[in-house]
Amino acid sequence: MVIAFWICAALAVFGALGMVFSKKAVHSALFVALTMINLAVLYAILEAPFLSMVQIIVYTGAVMMLFLFVLMVVGVDSSDSLTESIKGQRVPALLGASALGVILIGLLGNITMTNIGFDQAYVAYDGNIDALAGLIFTKYLFAFEATSALLITAALGAMVLTHREHAEKPLTQRDLSVLRFKSGNHPGSLPSPGVYARHNAVDIPALLPDGTMAEISVPKPLAARGAIRLIDLASKDEVQALNRGEAVITSQSTDRVEE
Amino acid sequence: MSSALIADITAPSVNYYMLAPILIVLGGAVLSVLVEAFYPRESRRSAQIALVLTTLVVAFLAVLNIKVDAILGFTIVNSLAIDGVSVFLQGLIILSALVGALLISENRIDPLGDAFAAQSSALPGSEDELAFTERGWYQTEIWSLFLFSVGGMLIFPIANDLLTLFVALEVMSLPLYLLVGMARRRRLLSQEAALKYFVLGAFSSAFMLYGSALVYGFANSVELGDIAKALSASAANSNLMLVGGIFILIGLLFKVGAAPFHQWTPDVYQGAPTAITAFMSAGTKVAAFGALLRVFYVALSGLAWDLSAVLWAIAIITMLVGTIIGVAQSDIKRMLAYSSIAHAGFLLLGVIAQSKAALDGSLFYLAGYAFTSLGAFAVVSLVRDASGEANHLGQWAGLGKRSPVIASVFTLFLLALAGIPLTSGFVGKFAVFAAAYEKGLAPLVVVAVIASAIAGFFYVRVIVLMFFTDASGDEVSVVVPSFATAAAITITAVVTIVLGVIPQPVFDLLSNALFLK
Repeated sequence: MVIAFWICAALAVFGALGMVFSKKAVHSALFVALTMINLAVLYAILEAPFLSMVQIIVYTGAVMMLFLFVLMVVGVDSSDSLTESIKGQRVPALLGASALGVILIGLLGNITMTNIGFDQAYVAYDGNIDALAGLIFTKYLFAFEATSALLITAALGAMVLTHREHAEKPLTQRDLSVLRFKSGNHPGSLPSPGVYARHNAVDIPALLPDGTMAEISVPKPLAARGAIRLIDLASKDEVQALNRGEAVITSQSTDRVEE
Repeated sequence: MSSALIADITAPSVNYYMLAPILIVLGGAVLSVLVEAFYPRESRRSAQIALVLTTLVVAFLAVLNIKVDAILGFTIVNSLAIDGVSVFLQGLIILSALVGALLISENRIDPLGDAFAAQSSALPGSEDELAFTERGWYQTEIWSLFLFSVGGMLIFPIANDLLTLFVALEVMSLPLYLLVGMARRRRLLSQEAALKYFVLGAFSSAFMLYGSALVYGFANSVELGDIAKALSASAANSNLMLVGGIFILIGLLFKVGAAPFHQWTPDVYQGAPTAITAFMSAGTKVAAFGALLRVFYVALSGLAWDLSAVLWAIAIITMLVGTIIGVAQSDIKRMLAYSSIAHAGFLLLGVIAQSKAALDGSLFYLAGYAFTSLGAFAVVSLVRDASGEANHLGQWAGLGKRSPVIASVFTLFLLALAGIPLTSGFVGKFAVFAAAYEKGLAPLVVVAVIASAIAGFFYVRVIVLMFFTDASGDEVSVVVPSFATAAAITITAVVTIVLGVIPQPVFDLLSNALFLK
């Protein structure tokens, strides 16, 4: 039992340190899982099977998975900013923590404990879970009930901080499409320039089947700069011939038409 | 096998009429969550206010129904102690909560609505936030959170074992962490304050939990009475008790805002919506000092000698930090926060003195301070400029000429905080200091008097600023509040004067205030 304690305790402390010092959040989470499992083993050694199982189910199972879910949502690769917002706090904090550690070890190192709690519980209730039930529903009934207030507060708080209501009913796809047609603008995607013209350049308007120019097909900034290249009127016939299937495009000449 | 055993577990006897105030407040909180879920948005706010005020009034009647001179006792297998002190504190907490609820319900002084963000989930400064504000929405969940917090405060000072104490601490604090971060104006400051409060609060409750575990190792029980018994019985493993006791004290001293565990106080008081600051400064202080007094008088009195050096140091540092750093503040809310730290230091004298007179004095002090502080913060919420509250001290210059009534009322509160005769602050201070002097704490009393004098300087400075300085030109106006805030300020001002002029009825009430051991 003593050997098991030292192995598990060392692993638990290693996990805790690893959690603090590892730079990647996922590693931290896994180190916490290591610590939790080792604590569960320690509880099992101390004849508390129920606590041990709950530790694994709740902490290693549920809480750690929640952490990992959150990490996945945030993005596994995103790392914390390691810049110190308070300058020079590291050394005093380290000194203070070590002083506290030394004081605790000094004061608590010579404690001798006897394991009597469980014996008493087993005499009174014949078993771990029965004893727990006995305590929760008698002596600590009020604390147990008061915890429900805590849970409601937590749920309410999570809602308040994260649940965003909509000031107006959000538009559905149908509403959006109705709006698009009602606005009177071109409802679909714009025709691309150069289609049916002799050229494919962006600054040459597409020609409609009757040979007129579709100015809408030229990007607005170009139109605003007056950089539209108009095709010569002669090509109109050519296009119509193209349409009738009597001609084929043979060359990609780029003669510029004066406006 | 187990069916026979379950029969062995006898259900604990529950004294429902003793628990009535707590059950009513927590029941009201649950109802208020249901209102939140099922009421239409337009009438939700008024329904919540009506529900909260009714709950608090009924809970107060339930407190009055507990007869202090009748045989009181522990309930639910010693986990709660109903005695004179707890009845007094519960009544005081509910009254502070009533005044606090009046302040929280105020929605006239800010043209945009009440003191809380229209929707705290909307990002500060976002279009969403603007849309919600324009529609005049209210975050009505604050009322449920508020009632849960009051419920926790009612449990905290009557908890008779460390486990219940811890749960009560969390029930009290968790809603406050949320409420602090929900201010309508200066939202980033408010959110930062909430985060700071939450992180430091979690840290301090971890200390308290560790301390409780160590004490359990020493006493084999977390019940306060058993701890006292174990302390007088055995000296084995006394280090466990010493370290555990100190850790528990750290958790409690954090909540009362004693130095060096006070760092959260100025930031949180400044960042929180002023109505919440007012409620916190009164309710949390009363509940936390109630718990501190109970733990110290009932469980740790056997450890008083070992802890005296620590407590003396903490009391002296708290008084000096509260007053000296308070002098340097230029923000009125931060100044009042440091004043509350200084008051925590003065109240620690009553904790250290450990006598019936000191207990009475402390309880009276708490009653006086709770109302004075509620009133002072209520006045702070009225002095505004275009961007919200005008908290900078410079903006208060010349206020006495423009709004003599409000300036005079604020002067009254400041004088009470300074402890000038004919106010409740003087009587409370006198009672605590006298009790401490009788118990041979003369050096502490000297420090306390010097600290009071320094504190008097910065209270008087604000009075001089208001009445004898010309306005700096900033457009600051005192807003005419709705009935609720006006009532709150009137009640607190009247209580401050009445407790200062005729304190005897309260001391008579306190003659039954003893801790059940």
